[in-house]
Amino acid sequence: MAQRSAAVLSTGPRFQVSKGLVTVLVSTVVLYALCALVAPSSVAPGTIAGTLPFAAILAIAGLGQMLVIQQAGIDLSVAGAISLAAVIVTAVPDGDNSKLGSAVVLALAAALGFGLLNGFLIGFLKLNPIIATLGSNAALYGLVMGISQGIPRSTTPTLMEIVSGVTFGLPNSVYFALVSLGLVVFMLRKTVAGRRFESIGSSATAAATSGLRVKTHQGIAYVWAQLLYCLAGILIAGVISEPNGFMGETYLLTSVAVVVLGGTSLLGGRGLPTATVVAALFLSQLDQFVLALGVSFAVRTLIQAAALAIGVAIYTVNWPLVRSKIQKLLSMSSRGQNQASLPPA
Amino acid sequence: MEETKMIRRHKLAAAFSAAAVASMLFSGITAVPANAAVPSWCGPTKITMGLTDGFGGNNWRLVTTASAQDEIKKCPSVTKLLYADGQGNTTKAISDIKGMVAKGVKALVVFPDAGKAMLPALRAAYRAGVKTVPYRVDPSGVAGKDFDIWIGGNFVNDGKNWGNWIKKNFPKGANILFLSGPAGNSQGTDELKGMKSILTSSTYKFIGESPFEVTNWDAAQTQKVLTAAIAKFPQIDVIVSDFGPVMVSSLGEFAKSDRSIPSLVTSDGNILGCYYLDNVNKAINSDFKLMTVATGNDHVRLAVQHAVARATGGKIPTATKFASPIFEDSETGKPQGVQCNRKIADFTFLSAQMPGVEQQKLLK
Repeated sequence: MAQRSAAVLSTGPRFQVSKGLVTVLVSTVVLYALCALVAPSSVAPGTIAGTLPFAAILAIAGLGQMLVIQQAGIDLSVAGAISLAAVIVTAVPDGDNSKLGSAVVLALAAALGFGLLNGFLIGFLKLNPIIATLGSNAALYGLVMGISQGIPRSTTPTLMEIVSGVTFGLPNSVYFALVSLGLVVFMLRKTVAGRRFESIGSSATAAATSGLRVKTHQGIAYVWAQLLYCLAGILIAGVISEPNGFMGETYLLTSVAVVVLGGTSLLGGRGLPTATVVAALFLSQLDQFVLALGVSFAVRTLIQAAALAIGVAIYTVNWPLVRSKIQKLLSMSSRGQNQASLPPA
Repeated sequence: MEETKMIRRHKLAAAFSAAAVASMLFSGITAVPANAAVPSWCGPTKITMGLTDGFGGNNWRLVTTASAQDEIKKCPSVTKLLYADGQGNTTKAISDIKGMVAKGVKALVVFPDAGKAMLPALRAAYRAGVKTVPYRVDPSGVAGKDFDIWIGGNFVNDGKNWGNWIKKNFPKGANILFLSGPAGNSQGTDELKGMKSILTSSTYKFIGESPFEVTNWDAAQTQKVLTAAIAKFPQIDVIVSDFGPVMVSSLGEFAKSDRSIPSLVTSDGNILGCYYLDNVNKAINSDFKLMTVATGNDHVRLAVQHAVARATGGKIPTATKFASPIFEDSETGKPQGVQCNRKIADFTFLSAQMPGVEQQKLLK
């Protein structure tokens, strides 16, 4: 089997496009077409300009989450991490542009610290990632409240300019997302460490047998993730003029959702960064679509849930098995009918 | 070298003053100036008092708690004040109340965030003989059976104030977009009731989701909702929101679509007032008007008066509901024009009785 797939790989195109990317790209195109047809206001230039910054932030958070999920982990500290970064870059400078640089450094240092903590707990002490990151999330929120007392502070004008400014027609936050994506793709695909990282995700046991440093790679995923969450938090502070201490809450589930929608398996293995970023665009546009439809809040939530369920089902359900079961059932029932039509002996 | 010393000294001083503020806040030593007149609601019986919050971790709550402190200070009969913050955890909020009763408080003012879930704890305190006064959020019990009295907010009245302003400024009708907090919250529904009782003509259209657009009082969600609304509705005359400051970061969306910011009818916040003054004179913002009601930090003062009066034997106030007064009106300038104090932080509430400078000191 392995030989056969290797053979297929060697004769295939030089750049393979993953099933995840194809699915999510097609879904996104279909969604935009649907938006244009059913709720044209959701694809108006103003709406797209308003949606893109949030999509970019979600994409960056999703990339962080993807690195962790690739190692069969999950990072629930994403909410606290984004909130902390947003709070540090607003509360520390407190409107003073000159202090922004040091605040950003402080935010990155905090992210590095918590990344190392998570990585150590999960990679080396083998703690359950759900428990460990839930714990560090609580610690992160402790810091958030300690620093801000829950008081939202205004974003410094410089940060606002950098993040919310527009270059070549696109909000700057989009470029941050694209650079993050480029960096993640390059690291994963073009560096030795990245290739090792992916193979450990696929099978930690096999990788350990071949002498790879499994613990280090598994741990380092949480460090990179925290740095990406930190970037997402800084960006959200630049988009929202007065962020409160809970800006990261919405990214807890959505960051996992975009990874899954992008086709990365929750069981670990190959990460699909481009598909994750496209999925972030999909989910953000879906948000605008249901808002533009003007349906009630309940229906809105149901539509979002259905989209997620379908997305997850595409990858996780064993469709060939379902198909063969259905065929078997059909053939059985037709056989039954044949038997029933036989004259009694 | 001298500089570092200075910094150190400053830090030390800051630490001391912070500690002093904290001790005043939380250990409850109430200093009353000797010559201050004692208000009628303050009776002669000496009491220990309790104040519990379901969630105390934001600027509005901190100013509100400090306002309660300030009100209590007016009454020398309150010898000690205990404060507890439920930190958004209903179980903790319940045990906080039980703890207060065990410590022997005679009067208790509660912000029952969890609503009905707080009722058994309130009832237990009331039955233990503590003068129990929940305020703002409705715990859905009966006065005189589950607690002494509930001092509710009058959100219908806020809605009426907003409705009257809209009627006066848009006599021919208007497209109104109403934003409130989480889906189905009673504050939003009451406000809508108030507005609809004034805006009876069919020329006043509530556009957007009914009863209100759900924003969870969150800046990011507000921005998404407004972005969608701007694209969807070519004409929005008035935006009504029951939490003004959270709208500020979204208002730039109008400029992106080359549209004027419409009239805002909302609650006050320093950041909002300053934003208005910064943007009203821009050529594009020809329709920008602002009217606010007070955000209600002083609501707690009425609750404190009721609890203290009952426990110390003072005169019980006649008012049982807190109606937020109109705070700013950019059009009539009555009771005053739009307020902005750039010397103090954006997160302060100029409508509170507590001066902005004091709020800032408290929140630093």
